[in-house]
Amino acid sequence: MCNNIKIDGEAVEFVQGDTILQAAERAGKGHLIPRYCYHPGLPIAGTCRMCTVEVEKMPKLMTACSTIATDGMVVNTKSERVLKSRAGVMEFLLTNHPLDCPVCDKAGECELQDNNYRYGPVTSSFLEEKRVYSKAATKKLSPNITLNMNRCVHCERCVRFTEEVVKSCDLMMINRGWHKELTLSDEKLGLTSNYQGCLSDICPVGAHTFNDFRFKKRSWFLEQYPSVCDRCSKGCNISVHSENGVVYRFKPHYNEKVNGHWICDEGRLSYHQVMDATRIVKPLLAHEGSLKSTSWELAGAAVNYLITSASKVKVVIGTDATNEEMKYIQASLPDKFGKKFEFSSYCGYGEDKKLDHMLMMKDKTPNSNGASACKLNHLDGDLVGDCDVAILIRYGRSGVPQVKNCKKIIIIGVWTQKEIGSFGTNVEVVLPGLATTEKSGTYINCDGVSQNFSPAIAHLGEGLAVNSIISFFKK
Amino acid sequence: MMEEKILTKHINTLNCHTLDFYLANGGYNSLKKAFEIGSDAIIEEVKKSNLRGRGGAGFPTGMKWSFMPKNPVDAKGNPKPKYLVCNADEGEPGTFKDRLIMSKNPHSLIEGMVIAAKAVGACRGYIYIRGEFFKEARILQSAIDDARKKGFLGKDILGSKMDFELFVYRGAGAYICGEESALLNSLEGKRGEPRLKPPFPAQVGAFGMPTCVNNVETFAVVPYILEHGGPKFASLGTEKSGGTRLFCVSGQVERPGIYELSMRTTLRELIDIAGGVRGGKKLKAVIPGGASAPMLTATEIDIPMCFDAMMKAGTMAGSGGAIVMSEDVCIVEATSILLRFYEHESCGQCSQCREGSHWLARMFVRIEAGKGTHKDLEMIERICSNMAGQTICAFADAVTGPVLSAVRKFRSEFEDHVRQRRCPQKIASRTIDAMEIDRGRAHV
Repeated sequence: MCNNIKIDGEAVEFVQGDTILQAAERAGKGHLIPRYCYHPGLPIAGTCRMCTVEVEKMPKLMTACSTIATDGMVVNTKSERVLKSRAGVMEFLLTNHPLDCPVCDKAGECELQDNNYRYGPVTSSFLEEKRVYSKAATKKLSPNITLNMNRCVHCERCVRFTEEVVKSCDLMMINRGWHKELTLSDEKLGLTSNYQGCLSDICPVGAHTFNDFRFKKRSWFLEQYPSVCDRCSKGCNISVHSENGVVYRFKPHYNEKVNGHWICDEGRLSYHQVMDATRIVKPLLAHEGSLKSTSWELAGAAVNYLITSASKVKVVIGTDATNEEMKYIQASLPDKFGKKFEFSSYCGYGEDKKLDHMLMMKDKTPNSNGASACKLNHLDGDLVGDCDVAILIRYGRSGVPQVKNCKKIIIIGVWTQKEIGSFGTNVEVVLPGLATTEKSGTYINCDGVSQNFSPAIAHLGEGLAVNSIISFFKK
Repeated sequence: MMEEKILTKHINTLNCHTLDFYLANGGYNSLKKAFEIGSDAIIEEVKKSNLRGRGGAGFPTGMKWSFMPKNPVDAKGNPKPKYLVCNADEGEPGTFKDRLIMSKNPHSLIEGMVIAAKAVGACRGYIYIRGEFFKEARILQSAIDDARKKGFLGKDILGSKMDFELFVYRGAGAYICGEESALLNSLEGKRGEPRLKPPFPAQVGAFGMPTCVNNVETFAVVPYILEHGGPKFASLGTEKSGGTRLFCVSGQVERPGIYELSMRTTLRELIDIAGGVRGGKKLKAVIPGGASAPMLTATEIDIPMCFDAMMKAGTMAGSGGAIVMSEDVCIVEATSILLRFYEHESCGQCSQCREGSHWLARMFVRIEAGKGTHKDLEMIERICSNMAGQTICAFADAVTGPVLSAVRKFRSEFEDHVRQRRCPQKIASRTIDAMEIDRGRAHV
């Protein structure tokens, strides 16, 4: 069956039930139709009237977001009437907008700015006083989200998000007409969902801003690279926003199979671990009772000595390592030092299960399924012991196992000073590795989806990929 | 004038709202007839009567009923119930006819609804009554209780095996809830905001079920149509708009009130019947069909008050509420008052309507205070053209209709306001001082 509509003279295929806007998006022509209230992850509202297009044989302009596409429809997105209507909507929306772009965090990625640049009037003819919501100019809806009602364009994406997606029903509109106002359903409770950051993502203007990012960086300085969130076994796709190797925020990256359009706040804030000030980013060597920073060559030589002189070495790999790392470690260590190794994996969060109806999982490590795929058995009883040397490899997400009856510990990966402190003076060598956003590899998520990723930022310390680290262990 | 009266025949009699009085005057006979002839014949009769929706849009009622699906089923193949909703949220400024029907003749409404329920196959009816009509809601409720006791409502009505329950639901005072889909939202307990159409209420209405929404007056004349036949009712009106209609006349006339007249009656006749312009003054303008209808000037009133003729004259018959303005009225002030109403009542979901009604209202306050510019008049035209026909419901058209007609037909008054920097018709008692402007602002 051939389902075609014509958008600006070009035939576009659509799936039965698509609206004009969805058909356009499917064909990569979504940019032709501006929108505010429409969001692919939310139910259709059709209220902003920005997406109106001219459809042949229909007397009125139709909203592309809500008009069902039918075979043979001829759609014009650039006619004079359409442009006039868009300019009209822009003018209306801007009448009461404070135009505080210089201090607004959304500036640079604001749909109101973008659309006004493309379609809006150059000047304003609004001579009246602007509407001011004095009480809601900067209102903290929760520790994560700040609302500036004056910037709101009343698209109600956020209301529909809390009602239909996270189903927490935290937000609602009160009052009518031009002083319609967004409020919390329960002022005392505030926002209750674990997906509050998404409110800031879906807000087309700067009404909802994420407190963690507020006043940190202008969005146009940020480079964006895709990666995978390693905060739980779901493996949500993210886009890492950074400048000069410093991560400023994570944003969700659409993936229909994994996370759709959303990520949880825990994952969103997990970039702090990569940027943690106490993270160890230089090789350390035990010297006179404390760990001193050293060179890779010396650290490698120390490891070489420790392993060669040992007869039994236990290697514990956290389930936050990539498949490639797990395989490489299992292959290369026996290759260099002979069969004295005993490999196991460690997660530290117990049986995995869903924590809510959306994305969050109980297992807070990204690759438990990968560890089983790499034939690693889980460590028995959270305890490493009865060996000469223990090698603990972990990338900041899995739990820290306990070590007993072993005086020499080699630490590899992403660790903070506090985590290492728990082993006391038994740590001989610390070799810093790369976090998920800094390396490439593959994770297998809780649903068995294998996801490959590339580095999103450059590592700022002296940490190295695991193959480079092992290359220093000369035999 | 000895015209046939349908709804207002007995309104001057004591206790005309009681069931006993209604039964004594042939009440509920049409219902018996309806059960005899069956649903298709009822719809056929209503189609023949040329009855058009009395709420304002003038949609042919018989056609609306025939759009209701015969045997709707849900996704699993289970039959869906159908609902009947009576729109008694009479909020249009200048209209007060439904209130009279509900307080003086509630049983004709109930009978009409049961007949309609039989015609469309509805099992449940809701009367969404305006929140302010407290007394009417009480009268209606007791009328429903009486009718249920006599077996005109409830299970197995008059031995016909048809069940029909009727409920009164009081609104919370929003003008927009008179729009049928907003009414349905409000009935469901949601925000009273119009829904996207399609799907129309006949497919997805109250609680997701097929629903038929009609005005109070529309339902109330149905018993007459069944009793006397469609053609008789049609003959009372014009070719395409059948029957008589309740016209509400307000403003500067000698005898404001409700007049039941044929649809053939012209606007001039209506004003004359209402006693002419008060104090022998000259007529300046008339809003013919409730506040949303564009204004007519004194020279344009020789047209019948039926839907088509009004449409031809560039206005609308609407809800039949004529607001008469004499030469004393300042059109700028009158429009400004209207706009402040609309600014307050826009539901606020569509961008154009929410911001545009506010902008216009503020602009008119400014012009009224003598601070307008000549550019403002062009601006009004531009704002209106950006609003009209671009929103989910017809509210934006209701805002722009009177405004555009006022600006176009009474342009000189606006220009006088701008040129003289004050209202030329300023009368001491109606001084528009800064205080009043501030009060207007505080009001909205």
